[in-house]
Amino acid sequence: MAGRIAAAALAALLLAVPALAAQQPYVLHVLILTCLYAIPAVGLNLMLGYTGLVSLGHMAFAGVGAYTAAVLMVDAGWSFWLALAAGVLGSAAAGAAIGAVCLRFRTHFFMIVTLAFGLMLYSVMNNWDDVTRGAAGFPGIPRPAPIGEWSFGPLSHFYYLALGGALAAFAAQWLAVRSSFGRVLVALRQDERLAQAKGVNGMLYKSAVFALGSALAGLGGVLHVSFLRVAAPASFTLAESINAVLIVIVGGAGTLAGPALGALVFVGLPEYLRIAAEWRLVLFGVALVLITLFAPQGLAGLLARAWRAVRA
Amino acid sequence: MLTAVLEQTLNGLMAGSIYVLVALGMVLIYGVMHVLNFAHGVLLMVGAYLCHFFFTRLTGSYLAALLLSIAALALIGIALERAVFRPLQGNLRSQVIASLGLILAIEHLVIALWGPNALQMRVPATEALVPIGALRFPLQHVLIIGVTLAIIAGLFAFLKYTKLGTAIRATSEDRQAAMVVGIPVERVDWMTFGLGTALAALGGALIGPLFLVFPQMGDAPMVKGLAGILLGGMGSVPGAVVGGFIIGITEALSTLVLPTDYRDSVAFAVMVLILLAWPRGLFGVRVRGED
Repeated sequence: MAGRIAAAALAALLLAVPALAAQQPYVLHVLILTCLYAIPAVGLNLMLGYTGLVSLGHMAFAGVGAYTAAVLMVDAGWSFWLALAAGVLGSAAAGAAIGAVCLRFRTHFFMIVTLAFGLMLYSVMNNWDDVTRGAAGFPGIPRPAPIGEWSFGPLSHFYYLALGGALAAFAAQWLAVRSSFGRVLVALRQDERLAQAKGVNGMLYKSAVFALGSALAGLGGVLHVSFLRVAAPASFTLAESINAVLIVIVGGAGTLAGPALGALVFVGLPEYLRIAAEWRLVLFGVALVLITLFAPQGLAGLLARAWRAVRA
Repeated sequence: MLTAVLEQTLNGLMAGSIYVLVALGMVLIYGVMHVLNFAHGVLLMVGAYLCHFFFTRLTGSYLAALLLSIAALALIGIALERAVFRPLQGNLRSQVIASLGLILAIEHLVIALWGPNALQMRVPATEALVPIGALRFPLQHVLIIGVTLAIIAGLFAFLKYTKLGTAIRATSEDRQAAMVVGIPVERVDWMTFGLGTALAALGGALIGPLFLVFPQMGDAPMVKGLAGILLGGMGSVPGAVVGGFIIGITEALSTLVLPTDYRDSVAFAVMVLILLAWPRGLFGVRVRGED
């Protein structure tokens, strides 16, 4: 009960932010970026946190969706919403196809192959000048067309789009995790052989979660380039994929709220503390090492422990 | 044409030497501890920066700076094994994630200390030219290849004939059996880790003067070294040597026929294909039944 009240209060607060922070575009900017980083992280959380698949090329799939949508909107004149759907489907298809290859491998080999595919996709985005405009980036990506009087130009309006995307991603995660699908994923992480002995088709479930995770990455990618109005290969590098792992692990891998906490800390904390840019990733790198050593459940685990201590 | 082939072969041997130094370090550590340290590339980069620092600030001698940076990186490697990788022993996922954390922390620490711009390291060997056939190469090219060959020979002798080398091979082959016969496997762990990071430092210190010293300089050698290991067969030391040289030479020769933009992609695609079609590689020894 307390949890539901807290969730409702949080939702109300998130919806009221533009009214509360009308004079502070900076706060809105940070919250939008938090949402945009959290969405792909939800996808990676399903793969890494729940199923135990450490993908080192996750953000490249966000790039597939972003460039698919960009080409459709700018070169083919599609509307934002259709292009968004196509981008998400494109990412899911890329995830299903590349996942089918990657999932033939386990442990180190899976990670190396996802790394290799991530770098190959990046290289295509960076070099296929005719379609992706190459290293200089793909300019002129539109925001969604206004709905009636409601345009997505102002920051406070785009905020609702980003928040809507993030809520959709978390809802998808919640539905997946509490279904029998999610329980199979956890079983596969804990003991794949045992799960298969019980009759689970491991390859099928892992392919499905790879496609779902990539689709969520694509959703985040399309919204991100629409926010920035430009798609650049630099947004989909190995470094960005490592950042996605960082967000998932720091927030709490295999927890529902983890990606949100991780993204909030990743985007918000350095802004709040005014840490110089170069020190921010030093801190996060150290935090990542410390969390794997001492707090495998991440911030969500620490908060849950604190909450239990308060209630007891 | 022949001149171009010769030139690219030498370039490939030189790049391959660096890949081999990286691959050897990673494969030794993988063999003993069953850890793939993705931070190996940034350690190469740190080796180059330390060499630059010692060379410009401390001693004017390239050789002394190189040896100092190797020693420093061996210590850093031993510290990392103690603090990060040993506590996570047996937990592959956490070890890899911790190594990603090390990549972020170390790379950005270097940027914070030295700035994001590339540094130049002028050593005499990059200025002097050696005639080879109709071509003239910087002495540094020849130096890199020669030092790497010497290191390979030394390493094989070390692994074959010394007590510690034998202990490293035994631990790689079967950790539990090694413990049973009284090999102090934990000491083998940290010594191997230090040896591996020292080899990375040597790679960085050798390549630094030829190209520039910059924060991302270790990324490509790490990935190419990894490709070399896979080609040679995961866990095989001779495989890492052969694989690293093949990757370097193929890559250099491919620039004669393919646009250089996609050079890296070709290497990665070949790597995935090898894994799919030929998972044991050239000298495949699958360690501990891993599939």
